[in-house]
Amino acid sequence: MIKETWALFVREVKKTFRNKAVVGMMIVQPIMWLVFFGSSFSHVPSSFLSSFFHTTNYIAFLLPGELAASMIFVGMFSSMSMIQDKRFGFLKRILVTKAPKESVFFGKVFGAATRGLLSIPIMMLVSLAFGVVFHLNILSLVVWILGLLLLGVGMASIYSIITMRSNDWQTPGVVSNLINLPLMFSSTALFPSTIFPQWMRDISSVNPLSFAAGLGRSFVLNTAPNFLFLLYLVIFCFLFLGIGAFLSRRWLKAE
Amino acid sequence: MRGYTVYSNNMDEITVDVRSLSKQYGNFKAVDDISFKVKKGEIFGLLGPNGAGKTTTIKLLTTLSAPTSGEAFVAGYSILNKQKEVKRNIGWVSAEIILDDDLNAWENLGLQAALQGITKWEESADALLKYFQLSEFKYKNVGKFSTGMRKKLEIAMALLNSPQVIFMDEPTIGLDVSTRKMLWDLILLIKNEYKVTVFLTTHYMEEADQLCDRIAIISHGKIIALGSPTELKEKAGGYAVSIEVKDGFDVSSLKNFHVLENNQNKILIEINSKDNMLDVLKAINLEKLNSINLITPGLDSVFLKLTGSTIKESEDAIDYRKFYSMVRRNSQ
Repeated sequence: MIKETWALFVREVKKTFRNKAVVGMMIVQPIMWLVFFGSSFSHVPSSFLSSFFHTTNYIAFLLPGELAASMIFVGMFSSMSMIQDKRFGFLKRILVTKAPKESVFFGKVFGAATRGLLSIPIMMLVSLAFGVVFHLNILSLVVWILGLLLLGVGMASIYSIITMRSNDWQTPGVVSNLINLPLMFSSTALFPSTIFPQWMRDISSVNPLSFAAGLGRSFVLNTAPNFLFLLYLVIFCFLFLGIGAFLSRRWLKAE
Repeated sequence: MRGYTVYSNNMDEITVDVRSLSKQYGNFKAVDDISFKVKKGEIFGLLGPNGAGKTTTIKLLTTLSAPTSGEAFVAGYSILNKQKEVKRNIGWVSAEIILDDDLNAWENLGLQAALQGITKWEESADALLKYFQLSEFKYKNVGKFSTGMRKKLEIAMALLNSPQVIFMDEPTIGLDVSTRKMLWDLILLIKNEYKVTVFLTTHYMEEADQLCDRIAIISHGKIIALGSPTELKEKAGGYAVSIEVKDGFDVSSLKNFHVLENNQNKILIEINSKDNMLDVLKAINLEKLNSINLITPGLDSVFLKLTGSTIKESEDAIDYRKFYSMVRRNSQ
């Protein structure tokens, strides 16, 4: 199982990083968020920024949130890759070998999550250029990235589960709009939940995106990290990873 | 080379044993209670029109799909509960060529090896590439390969795990004449060189005839005939002698034969087997004979006799039905 998963994971990664357009988009898209969206509060009085965002640089607030948001968006690639393999018959090729079905699922999920990790160093460098000051040590950096990875794996699992029985090109796009936007806006990725109505605050408090964003934010804004967030993300990740592995045995069909 | 190949010491070893296998999709019986045995080392062909159940049969035997009823043993293992063992012992070549175009030939082989759990694959992969004359394209992206090269690479991948039986679904569909010929030679070669049993499906009469040691003819999910191409052709009869005679030929000398056609000194006589041609010669006055010609039946006449339509016609019929139902739907 591990060897087959590794081989399929390497295939996903190779396919991603050999595609110049994909890599280009992965680099440019988060930069656009930081540059355009991040600059939209430039002329807001710093007293306002400090009281709402606990920083005078909105990009510092946005960076951890945007990194978390980019991890939920990569989930879509796991399902797109799954549909592509069904449409081109590659899944048949895999399922005629003795490789277990779970390894297909794991390969897609880890492949997509790895794709998401690419934006971490890029966005950190861009933030530095915009004057963000990091309060990081090795441990906090590892915890931050681990949180993002757990979020990415969990989200990619959800996506893969949804497309396991589909072979429709449109499914990933439809699902991503249905999941990503509500998830992003009802989290603390872009704004603090203190300004939300109560019902959105309730969603935000169980939204995995808030946990990953909150974890990173404590390292950027130099507040005390809540390690319970990491625990939540571990549970979220392994729950959906487990469900996906279980369902892939039953649901994963070649076509 | 074909027809009655002699299997010296493994004559009775069975590689694929299909027992009352059925597959139903809703109300449609794609495969309907089929049974047959494939001997070790032979090229076995499943011949039939599109939609007859050929691909479904391959899907069942490669465990891609589970049967509705019945059982089959591939390389000695049941497709019902020993799927992993079945997969370990088979190779599979799809009708549409399935490779990862973003990877090169070597990476495709490596991935296949990993999925089949083969650890020391490099040596045999190198040998296969050399054998199929693909060595110089080892590190070239397969997206840039020609169709013939892609097909070859697929076969190389199917042979990588030294399978006992290799399943080829419509191996030459959509290929040009020379590539098809190259592939036929290749299939015969791997049968002899790698001693692998080949199970292929086709709707090309000449392909089944040229390539297969034995053929099962499938129509509407049922096996309607099984045997070597020669046996099948003889069973269907259809041998005929066509003679051209001079004026004054005594037609009554043919009274013991079945004359199919008698038209301006051109006479067509049905005979049961090739050997009956001599009987015709003995019966007639040779002085009045201008020419004689033996008409050998093709597999197409076998299919015609068994189903009442040629393979081509039965494929067209399906299209017509679809066409009319479409017209009806639109006019409602």
